[in-house]
Amino acid sequence: MSTELKQHYTAQYSAIKASLPGMGLSWLNTAREKALANFSESGFPSPREEEWRYTNIAPIERRRFSSVSSPFEAVDRSRLKQFSIDGAASLVFVNGRSNRELSVLPEPARGIIACSMAEALELHADRVREYFAGVLNKESNGFLAFNTALFTDGAFVYVPQDMKVASPVHLIFVSTGADGLSTTRNLVIAGPGSQAEIIESYIGSEESGYLSAAVSELVLAEQADIRWSKLQCESNRGFHFGGLYADVGRYGRLNHANFSFGGLLARNEVHVDLSEASECSLDGLFLCTGRQHVDHHTRICHREAHGFSRESYKGILDQRARGVFQGRIIVARDAQKTDAEMSNRNLLLSSDAEIDSKPQLEIYADDVKCAHGVTVGQLDEQSVFYLRSRGVDRESARNMLTFAFANEMVEKVKRPGLRSVIQAELLAALPQTGVRKEWL
Amino acid sequence: MSASSREIEKLIGQGYKQGFVTDLEADTFPPGLNEDVIRALSAKKNEPGFLLEWRLKAYRHWLSMKSPQWAFVHFPPIDYQEISYYSAPKDKRGGPKSLDEVDPQLIETYKKLGIPLAEQEKLAGVAVDAVFDSVSVATTFKGKLAEAGVIFCPISEAVQCHPDLVQQYLGSVVPYADNFFAALNSAVFSDGSFVYIPKGVRCPMELSTYFRINAANTGQFERTLIIAEEKSSVSYLEGCTAPMRDENQLHAAVVELIALDDARIKYSTVQNWYPGDENGVGGIYNFVTKRGDCRGVNSKISWTQVETGSAITWKYPSCVLTGDNSVGEFYSVAVTNHFQQADTGTKMIHIGKNTRSTIVSKGISAGRAHNTYRGLVKVLKNAENARNHTQCDSLLVGDKCGAHTFPYMEVKQPSARVEHEASTSKISEDQLFFCQQRGISAEDAVSMIVNGFCKEVFKELPMEFAVEAQALLGISLEGSVG
Repeated sequence: MSTELKQHYTAQYSAIKASLPGMGLSWLNTAREKALANFSESGFPSPREEEWRYTNIAPIERRRFSSVSSPFEAVDRSRLKQFSIDGAASLVFVNGRSNRELSVLPEPARGIIACSMAEALELHADRVREYFAGVLNKESNGFLAFNTALFTDGAFVYVPQDMKVASPVHLIFVSTGADGLSTTRNLVIAGPGSQAEIIESYIGSEESGYLSAAVSELVLAEQADIRWSKLQCESNRGFHFGGLYADVGRYGRLNHANFSFGGLLARNEVHVDLSEASECSLDGLFLCTGRQHVDHHTRICHREAHGFSRESYKGILDQRARGVFQGRIIVARDAQKTDAEMSNRNLLLSSDAEIDSKPQLEIYADDVKCAHGVTVGQLDEQSVFYLRSRGVDRESARNMLTFAFANEMVEKVKRPGLRSVIQAELLAALPQTGVRKEWL
Repeated sequence: MSASSREIEKLIGQGYKQGFVTDLEADTFPPGLNEDVIRALSAKKNEPGFLLEWRLKAYRHWLSMKSPQWAFVHFPPIDYQEISYYSAPKDKRGGPKSLDEVDPQLIETYKKLGIPLAEQEKLAGVAVDAVFDSVSVATTFKGKLAEAGVIFCPISEAVQCHPDLVQQYLGSVVPYADNFFAALNSAVFSDGSFVYIPKGVRCPMELSTYFRINAANTGQFERTLIIAEEKSSVSYLEGCTAPMRDENQLHAAVVELIALDDARIKYSTVQNWYPGDENGVGGIYNFVTKRGDCRGVNSKISWTQVETGSAITWKYPSCVLTGDNSVGEFYSVAVTNHFQQADTGTKMIHIGKNTRSTIVSKGISAGRAHNTYRGLVKVLKNAENARNHTQCDSLLVGDKCGAHTFPYMEVKQPSARVEHEASTSKISEDQLFFCQQRGISAEDAVSMIVNGFCKEVFKELPMEFAVEAQALLGISLEGSVG
C-alpha cells in the first residue's frame, strides 16, 4: 500500500479530528492515535494474507475517500421509507453521523440506553470506556484500526439486567456523498438475562461510489439473548466493510442473520466467542450479480464446554460476480461437549461467476461433534422438469427455484415487518425473477 | 484416569520396530550445499549435460525462495548447510551386476524390514526397487518386466539408458520452480524409481519401491517418475522406514505421474518414517511434492496413502485433470501420535470436461499430535460437468491433540458439482460399550473401530499393503480409546 494513501487518511484524521466524538476523552484519544499508528504501519489488508486471499481490495486503495458532511436533505426519503419496520425505534446515520430528524427515538424505558455514540461519549462515557474495544482487542486487521481511528459516530445500546425489550432497535446507515467515507462504530451491551433485537441496514444513494466501514461490538452477559440482523443493501458502486465482533457470556444466545445484496465490493466479518453452554446461530444469504464481489468471513470460537453453534450460509452468483465464503470453527482444548455445524450452499448461475469457499475446523478437544459441508452446483434439473411438466416455462421455472433457494433463509426471519423488507430487497436484487410479490 | 485412557496411553507408547541402524561403510559427501556439490553429485552419477543444467537452474531458483510458512506445522528453521546431500553404501566391487552381487549386509537389512530382495515365491507378484540413502541398491524382476516392455529401474539408470524419456517428462508435472522443497529436490535429487509402461501394456506385476534412510546427518531426496502410455495400466507401491535418531532428518521427495489417453496409474504409499520418540525428539521431516497429470482423455490417477510415520508430514498428492473425462482419486489415512504433526491432503485441479474426482481422507490424532487436512478443489472455467465429492473425517484420541480441516473450493464453472463433508468425533462410548459388553476387550474394540473408520481407504490398497497397513495402524494407535 502506498505511503501516499496512508498519508491521505492520516491527513483525514487531522482534518476531522476536532469534530470527532469524544475528543475530550484522553483514553479515547490514545486509542485513536494508537490505531492510526497501526494503520499507517500495516495499511489495508493485502491478498497475500491468508484471510484475504480471495478478496483483493485494490479498488478501495485506488480511491481516496473523505469524510463528507452533506445535509440530510440529500437523503432519499422514499428509499429510507422502504426500510421502515413497524414498531421499531430507528437511529439513522447519514454519512457516518447520526441524524435526529430522520430518527425515531425509542420510548424511554427504565435503564435502557439507545443513542448515538457521540451522545453516549458525553453522557455515559464511563460505560463506553468499560466495554470499548474489549472484544476487538484480540483482532488485528487494517480495517479495524482504520475504523477505530476514524469513526465519526455509531450507535450505543445498553440493555440492563433482565430487561426484555420487545421492539427492535433499527440502525440505518445512509451514505450519500461521492467518494464519501462513512466510518461508524457500534457498541451493544446486553446485561445478564436481558433480551433485545438489533437490526442494521446499510443503504446508499450515490452512484459514484463511497466507502462504508462499520464495526460493531457486542457483549452478552450471562443468559443474555440477542437477535441481530444485518441488511447490506449498499449502492451498486459502494464499497462496504462490516464487522460484528461478539462475546457471548455463559448460557447466552446470539442469533445472527446476514443479508448481503448490494455493494460493488463488500466484506462481512462475523466473529463470535462463545462461553460455557452458550449458543449462536449464524445465517447468511448473499446474492451477487454484475461485477459484484461479496466476501463473508465468519469465525466461531468455542472457548468453553457445552457450546452449541449452527451456521448456514447460502450464495447465489450470477453474471460476472464472485462470492467468497470463509467460515472457521475453533474448538479450544477445554471446550468439551461442543456441538458445531456449518454449511455453505452455493448456486452458480453463470459461467462467468465464481465461488470460493473455505470452511475450516480447528479442533483441540476430543469429546466434540463438529461437521461442515459445502456444496456448489446448479439448479436441480429434476425440479425444473417438474415445473415444466406443469406448464411453467423454463425461464420462470428456474427463477422460481432460485427464489425458493434464497427464500429459505428469509423465511427464518421471525419478525414479519423485517421479513417483508428483506423479501422486497431480495426481489429487487434478483434479476428478472418473474416471482411476484403477490405469490408470497 | 479411566481404565480405557490407561489403555490408550499404553498402546500409544508402543515402539518403532524399524529403528535399527545398519553399520555400513558409506561414501558420503561432507555437509553443505553449493553449486560445486551439485556438480560433484552430477559427475558422480555421470549425468548428461541437460540434467546438470536443470539442477543448477533449480538450485539458483531455490536460493531465491523462502521456506513456506502457511502449513499448520511448527519446526525450527532447517540449516540446509548442515545436511549431507549424498550418501551411498560403499561399493567394494564397482557396482553390482545382479542381485547375487549386492552386499549381503544390505540384503540382510531389507530382510529385517520384511522386504524380499531375492526373487522368491512369497511376494512373487511384486517387483521391488530398493533405495538405500541416496542410491538404488537393487531392482528385482527386471527381466520379467522387460519381456512386457516395461521399464522399471532406478532413475539414475534411466538417465543413462533412456535420456530422451527423462528429458521429455522430468519436471513436466512438478516444475523445478514449483515450491521450495520441490526446487531443493530438483537441485539435489540422488535417486528414485523410473517406470515406463508402453502403449497398451498392463503391467504384469505390482511395482514397488522401498526407501530406507540409514546414514546420519543426511537428507534423502528421491525423485520418482512414472509414465503410463496410452491404454496402459500400472499399480505402484511405496514404503519407507528410517533408524531412530535424536536429530531430525529431512526427506524431500518429488513424485511425478503422467497418464496419457486411457491410461491408469494407481499409486499407493505406506509411509512409516521414524516419527520421533514420545517426547517429540528426532524423527523425519517428510516434505514431499507428489503430483499426477491426467494428460490424456479417460485417464485415471489414484493416490492411496497411509501416513503413520514422520515427525512432520507436509504432503499433498495432487491430480491435474487435464484430459476430458479423466478421473482423480485420493484416499488417505493419516495417523499422528505423540508430538507428530501432519498437514496433508490433496489438490484436484479440474481442467478438462466431465472430469471427476473423489477425496476420502481419514485423520486420526492421538497424544499431543496435530493432524490437519488441507485440500484444494479447483474447477476451471472450461471444466464442464466437473464433479467432486470430498469427505474428510477426523477421529480424536485423548484430549491433548488437535484435528483441523482446511478445505479450499474454487469453482468457476456453473455446471460443476462440488460437495464437501467433514466431521470430527471421538470413538463413541456407546460403540465401545457395545463391543465390551460382548466380551471384546477395550483394546480390541478400539482397534476394530479404528479399522472400521479407515476401511474405506484400506480397501483401496493392494492386498499385500492392506495387511501391512492394518498392522501398522495397530502399532501406532492400538487401544486408542477416546
